[in-house]
Amino acid sequence: MLKCPITTAATTTTTTAASEAYSASGVPVLEARELSKHYGRKTALDRVSFSVPPESFVVILGPAGAGKTTTLRLLAGLERESGGDILMSGESVAGLEPKDRDIAMIFDNLALYPHKTGFQNIAGPLLERKLPREEIKRRVGAVAAKLRIEHVLERLPKTMSGGERQRTALGRALVRSPRVFLLDEPLSSLDAPLRFELRAELKRLQREEGRTFLMATPDFAEALAVADTVLLLRSGKIVQASPPEDLYDYPVDCEAALFVGSPQIAVLHAEFREGLIHCAGLAFPLPTALEEAAEHMLRAGPGGFLLGIRPENVRVLFSSPSAPEAGGWTGIPGARDHAVGQVTDIESLGLRSVITVRCGREQVGMLCSAAQRAQIRIGQDLAFTVADRERLTAFDRVSRRNILRRAGGRVFEL
Amino acid sequence: MPPRTLSLPLRTALCCALILVLFPIFWLFMTAVKPPTDWNASPAIWVPAEPTLVNFKTLFDPDAIREYGVGGVSRSAGDAVFGSLLASTVSTLISVGTGIFSAIGLSRYSKGSRSAPLVILSGRMFPPAAIAVPFVIIFSLVGLIDTYAGLITVYVAVTLPFSTWMLKSFVDDLPREIEEAAMLDGMSRLKAHLTVTIPLIKGGLFATTMLVFILNWSEFMFALVLSYSNINTIPVQLAKYVTATAGTLYGVQAALAVLAMLPLVLGGFFIQGHLARGMTFGAVKQ
Repeated sequence: MLKCPITTAATTTTTTAASEAYSASGVPVLEARELSKHYGRKTALDRVSFSVPPESFVVILGPAGAGKTTTLRLLAGLERESGGDILMSGESVAGLEPKDRDIAMIFDNLALYPHKTGFQNIAGPLLERKLPREEIKRRVGAVAAKLRIEHVLERLPKTMSGGERQRTALGRALVRSPRVFLLDEPLSSLDAPLRFELRAELKRLQREEGRTFLMATPDFAEALAVADTVLLLRSGKIVQASPPEDLYDYPVDCEAALFVGSPQIAVLHAEFREGLIHCAGLAFPLPTALEEAAEHMLRAGPGGFLLGIRPENVRVLFSSPSAPEAGGWTGIPGARDHAVGQVTDIESLGLRSVITVRCGREQVGMLCSAAQRAQIRIGQDLAFTVADRERLTAFDRVSRRNILRRAGGRVFEL
Repeated sequence: MPPRTLSLPLRTALCCALILVLFPIFWLFMTAVKPPTDWNASPAIWVPAEPTLVNFKTLFDPDAIREYGVGGVSRSAGDAVFGSLLASTVSTLISVGTGIFSAIGLSRYSKGSRSAPLVILSGRMFPPAAIAVPFVIIFSLVGLIDTYAGLITVYVAVTLPFSTWMLKSFVDDLPREIEEAAMLDGMSRLKAHLTVTIPLIKGGLFATTMLVFILNWSEFMFALVLSYSNINTIPVQLAKYVTATAGTLYGVQAALAVLAMLPLVLGGFFIQGHLARGMTFGAVKQ
């Protein structure tokens, strides 16, 4: 039996635990309870629960087809849920028309009015609310200035560039003050500098003006950059709901670890015996961070467990093996403070490079500086070590779930 | 797109096709201005030596043709033109007006079941002649026979599947997010459909209207079996220009056919400008 104490933990989902913690700071602007959506026999969303506290930035992260857009469409009232409930500011909005939900949404395909100018597109929601003409002009002007699209206000969408269209769609949402903004991959078609800038702008709106955002994206970097809370969605289920740092350092399972972070984490077979963790030719004492998992790792026996090592946590060694730079465990009997593998790939990231090394059956990625990279050739043998043993993470070999329980009672359970 | 020149064989082929298509129309126009003596002339007279408007006059003044010694036309075509205009226009408006909402319902809300569109189309899956007799019997019982209300009812019933399906394909092509964005802007569903969906498929709406109008305008069988004396349409009137003394009045028939073409040709010119594609270009990511 490979059952660790954690996998038998209470069936309370992460998401409800998290939402309870948040609701202490006020009634959530938005709350999904056991939300489900079926299309015929296909399940698009399977009992998803989460909440969006006021003035927060929540990101739904997931690959294509995970159910991100479906979630947003249900919240917007564009589709009817098959089960569960949606609460806005504490009240159920079941059966409420989209127009009565007081939300703004940006669609992933933008959905501008093709027959109306940039100004009319942005002013749409204000015109519908019959605001005075001067007020509309002022607010559209302000938003256009912020997004730097004043020059397209008189133009039709078909004459705009992709980025201008995207910003016009963004403007149509930002011109309002709804209770929550639903953004479906709002930055995906922009080039990098503008994407970073608008990302910062969204974050600023949240921080300084107290707006609330729920954004869907397949891009983990975008999620980590803006989110207070990341909901990791996979096949219609939320598999992890946590602050971005935790998503990175304590991914709920191997797939989450591999999905978040680039270059990708290395997931290696490891064994724990005689007080040492043996992995890819390295043997080192149990780090404090993994102590709670010791029992599980021992019981796993010769099959071992999976060790997750992020590339930035692997250090390339050039000097002799027992050099002082190689970790701090050289004195322990049986320990091996470095491993050697063959370089199979070198990929430049600009400032740094990713070196991929093969050790037996395992592939290990590591980051090195440009200076180090200049000394490395494909095919050569390269020594490496783990830089910080406390930043390793461990997964069950069979279930591929993380076997660490983060201090503070957060339970990564499904 | 820059003007392109066609290769010689292609141009020749196109010319042949054009002649084939246009010849009946040419013949129709010529017959319409031929005096009765030229109608059946052998060898055929291509262009009449003395073109006359007597055929057109005869349409509204049955006695006009008597100056050529031809008689037996008893009825003015005025009521037929009126009847065709009334029945075709009203039934087209009802058919397309109802069809657009059925189309939106089917496309956006999957109303009915998945098979609903097919069920609707099944109304067109048997020959109209098969339902003509039941219609005559039922309409006789309920007093709809020989009335425009009855004829319009049949026309709507027959063309509604068409307009629904055709309009559905246009609505399907329109990204639903555009009208959903309008709903989130604060419009009700109905208002979003009226002010966003329908204007954006204007081209399709015009094309469908035109097609349904043509179907109704040229319909013969139902008009024939459902009319006695109170109602009349152009196709039915065309069949009535057969006299005991002079045989078929080809020239008068041609004249009425020319008149019948008018609204269609004018309508065609009118909607041409609205059939442009790419109405929604720029609305969504390509």
